[in-house]
Amino acid sequence: MFRHRRRDEIPSLNTSSTADISFMLLIFFLVTSSMDAGKGLKRQLPPPPQEQEQVADILDSDILTIELSANGRLTLNGAAITLPQLQQEVRQFAAVNPKHRVVALKTDPQAKYDDYFQLQNAIVAAYKPLKCPPRISDVVVEEETEIGGKP
Amino acid sequence: MMRRRFRRPDHSLPELNMASLPDLIFTVLFFFMIVTHMRDVDKQVQYQIPAGTEVEKEQHKSAVVHIYIGLPLDGSTDDYCIQLNNQLATVGDIARFINEERKGMSAEDQERMTISIQADREVPMRVINEVKQALRQSYALNISYGATERQ
Repeated sequence: MFRHRRRDEIPSLNTSSTADISFMLLIFFLVTSSMDAGKGLKRQLPPPPQEQEQVADILDSDILTIELSANGRLTLNGAAITLPQLQQEVRQFAAVNPKHRVVALKTDPQAKYDDYFQLQNAIVAAYKPLKCPPRISDVVVEEETEIGGKP
Repeated sequence: MMRRRFRRPDHSLPELNMASLPDLIFTVLFFFMIVTHMRDVDKQVQYQIPAGTEVEKEQHKSAVVHIYIGLPLDGSTDDYCIQLNNQLATVGDIARFINEERKGMSAEDQERMTISIQADREVPMRVINEVKQALRQSYALNISYGATERQ
């Protein structure tokens, strides 16, 4: 057998297993990785309360008070309202002078996160056509009211 | 040339050239390696994030810090727990956790650090608010409410 091999032939490397090895690596990466980057609703928190708080003078007519109760009921300036209606109201409210108008959220500590999230989502949606981010005063009722912070 | 072709015995099968197969698979492998990110934490709380219409993709993966809030998987308590990295924690641990995460980041990632709150829909707002207040104290002001996209 060896006697018959010609001298000028280069012995070739057997590469048939390279495909298997790279397949193994591929499957490893497929299993351990998650394709989708996380998504989320971006908000900005106000900085922590300072010693000397500057009290902002805001006209009552420039504040839209939205309350979220423990059972997920929404009230706008004291009157019950549904989420789509609320979105319309916020859109109308923000149409005039959005930089100075403040949406005041008052959330019950027992309210569900999902309800709160949908409320935030509706406000962001209402402000979407405007260039200016919403100004939200976000309070969970038992705490002191503080107004400020960007969105 | 022509003579050799005519002389080829009829019973031999032509071989398929497999040399480019590993290259092909390696290309797919590299594609997956680049577009995916590894899961670095094991879930210890159970949560179902809300769905919203205004969600955005989280940018700069290296600057995103996750906080998970939900019921513990091992069922040790019926209370909602906070998971930081790989362990269950309390609100008091958040400040230390944020500082540690911040230290491990590059200067520009520190600037754009975003806290992604992955909370269950049923979590009461009291818990969310405590987390948010703790984040304010640590000056981690960019937050994102983790959610899925809804049409």
